[in-house]
Amino acid sequence: MSFHEKSAWVMGLIMVAGMAFYFRTVAAMSEGLDAVAPPVLPLVIVYVVVIVVLSIIGHILIAFSKPSEADGAMDERDKLVAARAGNIAGLVLGVGLISALGIYLFTYDGNQLFHAAFGVLMISQLAEYAARIVYYRAGV
Amino acid sequence: MAKRPPITNRVKELREAHGAMSQAALGEAIGVTRQTIIAIEQGRYSPSLESAFRISRVFGVGLEDVFGWAGD
Repeated sequence: MSFHEKSAWVMGLIMVAGMAFYFRTVAAMSEGLDAVAPPVLPLVIVYVVVIVVLSIIGHILIAFSKPSEADGAMDERDKLVAARAGNIAGLVLGVGLISALGIYLFTYDGNQLFHAAFGVLMISQLAEYAARIVYYRAGV
Repeated sequence: MAKRPPITNRVKELREAHGAMSQAALGEAIGVTRQTIIAIEQGRYSPSLESAFRISRVFGVGLEDVFGWAGD
C-alpha cells in the first residue's frame, strides 16, 4: 500500500471520527431546545484543531512505518487518482450545498443551514478519501 | 466507477527476464512508485504514453512488445 493510499485511509478515519464528534456535540447542545442549537465558534475551533493534530500524528505514524516512501511526491497514478476523487468530492459538495440551501428556503433555520453546510464539507472530504481508496484498490 | 483498462502488458515477464529486476528498481528507472508498477502488472492501471515508452526503453524492446490490446 502506497504512502498516499495509507494517507487516504488515515484521513478518512479521522473525518469519520471528526463528524461523529461534531454532530454528537451539536445533538447534545440541542437537547432541551425546540430547535437545532446555534453554531458556536469554540466547537468549530476544537473540531479544526483536533482534525489537524490527528492528521499530523497519523502522517507521522505512516512515515515511520515506511520512511523510504514518506518523502515521495505523487507520481502519475497518484495524480490521476487524486484528480478523479476530487471530481467526485466536488460533485458531492455541490449537490450537498444546493440541497442545504434548498432546505433553508423551506425552513428559514440559519442554524440548521450552518450545520448542514459544515456537514456537507465533511462528507465531501470523506467522499474524496473513499474514492481515492476505491481507485487505488480497484484500478483507475 | 473503476473500470479496468483493456490493455495487457508483459512488464512482469520482461522484468524477470532482465535479471529479475525488482519492481522498485523499474519504478525508479521510469519515475513512478513501486505500487504503480504493481498496479500496471496487475492490469489495474494503464501508464501514460511517456511511461510506456520509458518502460519499453528500459527493456530495450518496442512499445508493442510490452503492451497490447486485450483480445488481440
